[in-house]
Amino acid sequence: MANPFKEMQKGIVVNEVVETPTIKTLTIRLLNSEMKASPGQFNMVYVFGVGEVPISFSNIYNRGDVFEHTIRFVGAVTRAIMKSIRLGSIIGIRGPYGIGWPIKEVEGSDIMIVGGGIGFAPLRPVVKYLMRFRQAFGRINILYGARNPNEFLFKYEFESYSQIPNSRFLLSIDAPYPGWQHFVGFVTDLIKFADVDVKNTYVFMCGPEVMMRVGVKKLLERGFSKDKIFLSLERRMRCGSGICGSCQFGHMFVCKDGPVFKFSEIENYLAVEGI
Amino acid sequence: MLYKGNEEDVLKVYESVKSIGIVYGYKKSDNEIKFDFISGASELPLDVTTTQRPGYYRINAGFGFVHSFQSPKNFLYPPRTDIAIVTENLYVEVLENNIKSVVLFGVKPCDLAAIRVFDELFASNFNPYYFNRRRGIAGIVVEECLYPSETCFCGSVGTGPDVTDGFDLAFARIDRDFVLFKVGSSFGKIIVNKLRLERANESDVGVYRKLVEEAKKKTSIGISVEDMQKALSISIPNEHLWRKLSEKCLGCANCNMVCPTCFCTEIVDEIENDRSRRIAQWIGCLSYIYGLVAGGHFRKELYTRYRHFVLHKFLFYPKQTGLLGCVGCGRCIVWCPVGIDIRETIKSVVNEYGEKHG
Repeated sequence: MANPFKEMQKGIVVNEVVETPTIKTLTIRLLNSEMKASPGQFNMVYVFGVGEVPISFSNIYNRGDVFEHTIRFVGAVTRAIMKSIRLGSIIGIRGPYGIGWPIKEVEGSDIMIVGGGIGFAPLRPVVKYLMRFRQAFGRINILYGARNPNEFLFKYEFESYSQIPNSRFLLSIDAPYPGWQHFVGFVTDLIKFADVDVKNTYVFMCGPEVMMRVGVKKLLERGFSKDKIFLSLERRMRCGSGICGSCQFGHMFVCKDGPVFKFSEIENYLAVEGI
Repeated sequence: MLYKGNEEDVLKVYESVKSIGIVYGYKKSDNEIKFDFISGASELPLDVTTTQRPGYYRINAGFGFVHSFQSPKNFLYPPRTDIAIVTENLYVEVLENNIKSVVLFGVKPCDLAAIRVFDELFASNFNPYYFNRRRGIAGIVVEECLYPSETCFCGSVGTGPDVTDGFDLAFARIDRDFVLFKVGSSFGKIIVNKLRLERANESDVGVYRKLVEEAKKKTSIGISVEDMQKALSISIPNEHLWRKLSEKCLGCANCNMVCPTCFCTEIVDEIENDRSRRIAQWIGCLSYIYGLVAGGHFRKELYTRYRHFVLHKFLFYPKQTGLLGCVGCGRCIVWCPVGIDIRETIKSVVNEYGEKHG
């Protein structure tokens, strides 16, 4: 394997969408290269002189040189992205890294997507994949929760999600909000409304760890199978390739053994706070 | 095969390996012992001894130096490594840090075990910065520890006080005029032949074996690795216990910095004119910022970080490398400002979850 730090590529920001006051989706086109990424993988996104952050793909175009990253501006690097990166800016990209969703392996089954907050971003390429290859899958349920209606990402695509044949697209917000006509409660409360064959359903879930813990509990209560539940975890990643050690989750390196894990393989670790 | 010599021969070995490459090892420097480039025989710590206790380290004139806060990690995986220069238009010049022909001299058996851990760890997570330096090592000379410190527990984790493989030449100082040399490779054999050392006789070997056995006993905490691991794995969800075990911890990460197998790394950018220097520098899992992400903190509570440190050494490293991550050097005990003793932690956990609880 080559030196990962050598592999930084230049990307130009060709589009930006303000999703919420603190979250933007940047469309990035690589300048002189391509990358073959799959849903659930991530890039290390570099801002000159500031540093890198791991950001999952929120959209992967077929061309191989264009993809999207949905970024919340909360830390030093992401704030620098907010301040200095705009349409036409050049940004450093290393990747793709990690193991993504086992999307090709689950063809023929029912699929359930459970996303909480910005955790929906790495699931969006899955939704797009399912839409594109609709015939290859059984029933599709998309459950997406946010704190309040303003916190949802990709609202401009909701119409298309709700039109997927033989599917359910369910939304939730944490607390009542004027004009809200969908569910009020946590996204994990939507699990009981999912219309799938629980024994033959693969679940892809991403959100805060506490949400995923509750989510898994509710899935298991409904009879979903432990080895058909996949979770995408987040950790501090500094290198993206297992060198720096900071993303360790038990003995796993989230950057290279994940970020997507089969629940049955991490069950003992996930059960413990701060492992 | 063991050969007999004296302190003079140790110096001769040093002179002999000096001709092969740059020698790195423990050296006396400004009243402390460092692991660094040794420029001459007078720097070798042959006439000093160390007193090590939990939270306590002193160097005195004497015989039988054990080790210092530094280890071969300081050479193989330095605290700060320049990895790249990036220009404003994102042109990346990678700095490879190649080192050629180095001999590690006088490393301890625990250090050798730590090098093995790094070899395995970084082979599976390919790390060019480690391997560029590792490849440059032309030879390893080990000093076995027949007189271990109070804080040493290599006997418990099977890493010492003697060595059996993975080195070129080892020596054990029984006293100043009585040093036994052990050949570990053809390179080691060449050195021994050059020195014209005699084979040690049966009674010399007997003295050596007896001291090794005594040192092994002294450095054992009386719990098998399997029992430690069993108890630790059951203890994980016991928040109360881990809070208690870590209550003295200051979160200073000294243990991480001195541990010869801790490898966690932060990558920082430092601007120089119109370029940015990317630097890999150590970060410790005990420190408050470790696990901090923009959205929160994955190990916010200090007890979870101390637990991670201990579990990593005993449970996670074996899964990552096939080797125990704790090499029993005791540095974390010695250099902990409040003297937290990992042996006591292990004993407490085994006490709580050991055999008697089934």
